[in-house]
Formats: sequence, C-alpha cells, structure tokens
Amino acid sequence: MARIVIDPITRIEGHLRIDVEVEGGSVRNAWASGQMWRGIETILLGRDPREAWLFTQRFCGVCTTVHAIASVRAVENALSLEVPKNAQYIRNLLVIAHALHDHIVHFYHLSALDWVDVVSALKADPAKASALAESLSDWPGNGRLDLKAVQDKLKGFVDAGQLGIFANGYWGHPAMKLPPEVNLLAVSHYLQALEYQRKANQVVAILGSKTPNIQNLAVGGVANAINLDNQATLNMEKLWKVQSLLKEVVDFVQRVYVPDVCAIGAMYPEWLGYGAGVKNYLAVPDLPIDSPATEFDLPGGTIMNGDFSTYKPIKNFTDPYFKDNVSEGIAHSWYEGDWSRHPFEEDTVPKPGKFDDKGKYSWVKSPRFQGQPMQVGPLSQVLVGYVSGHALTKKWADAALDKVSAIAKVRVTPAMLQSTLGRHAARAVRTAVIGDLALKHWKLLVDNIASGDTDIFNPPSFPKGEVRGFGFHEAPRGALSHWVVVRDGKIANYQAVVPTTWNASPRDAKEVKGPYEASLVGNPVANPELPLEVLRTVHSFDPCLACAVHTLDPEGREIARVKVL
Amino acid sequence: MNATVAPTVAVLGLGNVLMSDDGLGPTVIRELEAAWTPHPEVELLDLGTPGLDLLPFVCDRRALVLVDTVRSDGPPGTLRLYRKEAILAHPPRTRLSPHDPGVKEALLLADLEGRGATSVLLVGVVPGCSRQGVTLTREVTAAVPQALRAVLDELDRLEVPSRPLARPRPVDLWWREPGATR
Repeated sequence: MARIVIDPITRIEGHLRIDVEVEGGSVRNAWASGQMWRGIETILLGRDPREAWLFTQRFCGVCTTVHAIASVRAVENALSLEVPKNAQYIRNLLVIAHALHDHIVHFYHLSALDWVDVVSALKADPAKASALAESLSDWPGNGRLDLKAVQDKLKGFVDAGQLGIFANGYWGHPAMKLPPEVNLLAVSHYLQALEYQRKANQVVAILGSKTPNIQNLAVGGVANAINLDNQATLNMEKLWKVQSLLKEVVDFVQRVYVPDVCAIGAMYPEWLGYGAGVKNYLAVPDLPIDSPATEFDLPGGTIMNGDFSTYKPIKNFTDPYFKDNVSEGIAHSWYEGDWSRHPFEEDTVPKPGKFDDKGKYSWVKSPRFQGQPMQVGPLSQVLVGYVSGHALTKKWADAALDKVSAIAKVRVTPAMLQSTLGRHAARAVRTAVIGDLALKHWKLLVDNIASGDTDIFNPPSFPKGEVRGFGFHEAPRGALSHWVVVRDGKIANYQAVVPTTWNASPRDAKEVKGPYEASLVGNPVANPELPLEVLRTVHSFDPCLACAVHTLDPEGREIARVKVL
Repeated sequence: MNATVAPTVAVLGLGNVLMSDDGLGPTVIRELEAAWTPHPEVELLDLGTPGLDLLPFVCDRRALVLVDTVRSDGPPGTLRLYRKEAILAHPPRTRLSPHDPGVKEALLLADLEGRGATSVLLVGVVPGCSRQGVTLTREVTAAVPQALRAVLDELDRLEVPSRPLARPRPVDLWWREPGATR
C-alpha cells in the first residue's frame, strides 16, 4: 500500500493537504486536512456589527464579495431589518457578476489543465479544429485563422521556454485523452476567457465601487446613491454599461463555456463513475426578488443519500429548517475539546498539533446538517433545482445532458451528475442559469428605479441586550452562512461556516468522512508520482482554503509537493 | 469608479490585513496615500489576496510596483527587491487549491495575452509572523519606511514622481482597533 501526500507548502502556514492510500491502482482511504487556522472570526469580537462585512470580506482574497453579502444578511437577520428593493437587486447583480467571473476562471484557468493537454494542441490541424467547433456552437471566435493564431502564439511560448504558466499541467500523462483539435480549441477559449472574466469583474467594480474589495454595502442596504442623471451616482450610463458587459459575458458562458464542458466531458465518460462521495446535498435559496425576501429566483433545499424523493425545501432567510439543523464538530480538528455545537454556541480555541489520522488532523471543523455530512456547490445547486422543478435549471441541465449523451453515445441522466465530471457539468449549467437571471435582475433594478423608487437603505438600530442572527448566501462554491451574536450593539460571537468547510470537512465523531475524503475513495491512480486523478477530483469541488496568507516565494524554494511514502 | 481607464503605472499592495505581517502591502499603500500625492499616471491599490484575480490589475500597464511579504533568507523585516526576471525565474507550482497566490501566474498570463508590463519591481519584506492578527510585528513595522522609500524611488525612476503632502493625513489603518471606523 502506497501513501501519497499532496501538501503544497507555499506559505508559512500552508493550506489544503490531501493524504491518500493507494492499493492496486486505486484509492483505498483518504484524509483532507486544512493546514491553516481559520479562526479569523475572533478578530470580530467587540467590534461594531455594521462594520463586520469589511472584515469578513478580507477572510479570503478571492471570495471577498460573498463574505460581505453573508455578513450584512446575518446582521439584518438579527435585527429583522428588511432592505429596499433596489438594494436587493444591486446586491443580486454583484452576486451574479461575481459568480459568472468565478466559474469562468475556475473552469478555464484553474481546472481545465487537469483534462486538457496544452502541448498536444501544437499537433492539431486548425481547420479540423474549426470544423469541430462549428459542430458544437455558433460562436464566431472559432475560425481556422483564429485557431491558427492561437497555435502560433502557443508555439512561440513553447519555443521561448515560457511554458511556466502551464507548469501545473500534467501534459503527456496517460490519463489525458483529448484529441489535439479539442486541446487546441480549449487553449483558444482559455485565452478568450481571460477577456470575459475581466468584463465580469468590471461589473463588480462599477456596482461595488471597487474590486476586489467592494465598498458599497451597508447593514440595511447599499451605499450606491441612485440618480439617473448624476455623474457621481449610479446613473443610466453606468447601468447601460453594466447591461452591455453582462450580455457579453453571458453570451460567452452559454455559447462557449457550456459547449466546451459538454464536449470535453463527453470524452471522459468514465469520470461519471468516480468521485461521488457524500450524496447528501445542501443548497440555500438566493437572489431574493422582494424587499422582505420571501421569494427567490434560485431555489434551496436538501437531498439525502442521493435519493431525489427526499428533497426538502429551504424557503427563505429565516427558515428554521436551515437555522436549527446546522452544527459543527471538532472531534478531528485542532481545537480544544471534542464537542459538536450549533454555530451560535461555538467557540474557537485553537489547539495546534501534529497530523494524526486517528486523532486530530485538520484546522477545518466538521459541519453537519441533522448530523450528516453534506456536499455543497454547483452540483447541489443543480440537483436541488432539478428536483424542485426550477424551470431554468431543468432547461440548461437537460440541454447539457442531451449534448453529452449525443457525443458520448451513452444516456447520461441527472443522477449520473453525482461524480467528479458531474461537478464540472453542474457548474457550467449553474453558470448558464445565472446568465439568464443576470439580465432579468438588471431589468428588475432599472424598472424599479423607473417607477420612482430610489430607496437604498433602511437604517439599523441595535437594542440593548442580546440578539442573534444568521445570514446565508449561495456562493459559487456553495452554501455559505454567517452566524452572529450581538450584545448591546457589539459583536459577542461570530462564526462563518464556509462552503469549503462543508466539502473539506474531516471525519466527525462517528468517523464518517467528509465530501472530499469520501469522493477520493475508489479513484484510479495510474502513477502515484503524478496523481493527476486525485487532483481532478479535488479540483472538481473548486476548493478555497488558500488565500488568507499571501507570502510570495519568488525564489521558488519547494518542499516536496507530492510525497509518496 | 476606477475600472475604466488603466493608468500606466500601478502600485499594488498585496496581503491579508487580518494576518499580522501579511498586511504589509496594504499598510504601505495606506502610508503612501496619507503622506504623498501620486503622479496622475499612477494608481495606488490595496488588493488584499486576490489570487489569479490579480490579472485585471496587471494588464496594460507600462510598469508595476508590487508590495508583498516574501519568503527569503534574512531575519524578519529584511527588505528584498526583485525584478520581473527574478520573480519569473522559477515556474509557479502545481496547485492543489485553485487560489494559491497568483502573482507569477498573473504576470505570465498577461504576457501570454501580450498585455504584460515590461517593468516590474517586487518590493518584498520578510515577515516575522503571519498568524491571525491586525498589527505588524516590531521588525516589519520598522521596515515599512524602507519599503515605502523603495516604492517612491521606483516611481521616481519611472519618471512618475510623487509629491509630499504639506500636511500628511492620519494613516487609514481601519482594520486595527475594535470600533475604529474607516
């Protein structure tokens, strides 16, 4: 039995470490370990709850917006404070633009190289690649000359020895199976995607006043003064700019990203059979369309044991089905004690230790819902949407499944999305759904302003004594919740249960594995020195534990990233 | 709104203000803003820890000045300067989590797009403590004026000099004390 440790020690405290035991070419056991202390919540103690979002958006440098949104919702929930319609729509547009950006980057720039062999693209015939592209989509950027230009650019980079940017790819690995033409198409879209992720980011910058750390939120609403004729405020010129950027990005998502995932996925059908892991799914509703947030454009709920008949909805921001059923445990986490508690009752007392796979081995806590581990993220979003009859989810999921089925020549069902490949497909489906809603919510905002409503803010007031609140947001990586206890107007407790905590959870007191751990068991591993298959499954979740510390290592000193023991 | 026209030179402060010395980059930006008027072609940005989302901020610039903590020899507070070739001399690593610091990746991607800056200076300081906390250690605090000086010198060299303010403002380190406002 070989043990593989993948431990990227790029910073002082490191982050995600994966240990797998491999026997007979397949993973027998797995452990996921967060190597970084996620206790930043304690910095919030004693602070003004109206400022909490400024700090929470610094939890993570990539998921800034999502922590800001969840934080203001948590404090508003504690005060039973509604926010004006304009504030809902502006927040929704931020959420939408962030999600579009994040999913494009994840697929093309952060995980495509697990499936796409960059160097193989040099061998492609651009004319054949162009013909193939036309059979997949009517996107205009796939001409023979366009693809030839990409190939030449890539060749220039390879000849100059500048392949560094792709150094994290495993080209030539036996698990790489795409023909050169598909690889070329993917590299071409990798480059185009850079342009579209920038456009999505620009929407966040216009509405949020700044990226990556937005400045326009407030407990009770937003700070974007609205006057359609004033240069200094949110005006019609800016709104038209937002619309035109969103249209371009949505077009790219629906005509390039979705077809690419279908085409690439269809050539790896065996990956519909690996990586299911924990088949309990949790998604929370998002994109509220009214001021009290009683109606939502994206549904939430739970599915247990992969049995779609167990679907139960989570209805709104106050639903006790969510509030009462979340707990976190620390049986295998480096904190004092071995309790399992509701977030309002938690404390964060670190107890650093060594990696002990029988004892404590992670800084990540073990969140549970009714005592069960849950998978969160686009797969949960799409399954919950599909089962609940959400029309947009059904439309895009059925279209994607039909396309994959046609290319792979096997019938792919929604249930088969419960896999490593399915998580990528579900992410593309979800992005397309959000694309349709982007333009809807832009129109909701513009129509509401046109009706004469320019309200953006309801002032909060904090009572004497204690109030408690929770706020959730269905972030790109899944259900995010913030839990706050406010005493005499100051923060007395604050906990964030983040999507990667659900997915990267260590075992709980009953020794039940978390989603990463469970999904790795049974994965093939052709070559333990180059565990591409393990990375495929881990990356399919879009993990995010990494960005709390940023120390750069320009001298490139490396402690072994992949150790085979 | 600052996202429409990209000025030609950007000073980018990187790092997490909630992780002690990792807040060096943002701190240097705030010190600059408090005591200096930048040349109109210069943009000062506290970017936190954007990972690959750094990319939009490094494209289409004539020159970049990055301020960040660095792993290097020397005691905490040691100042280290790196030019582009040195930063890119070692390739980025295989990522496990997709949000590893994206400085090298962003610079390489910008080059791949043909939109990279030719002049890049990384002003680095060796951190003492990168654990949770909202203040810099004594050693790194002592290095802030040197890092600031290195940024100002580079802006002079690029012929976009900064002007000292006659009456410096208080430095806006809003993350420091409970109850402190922005």
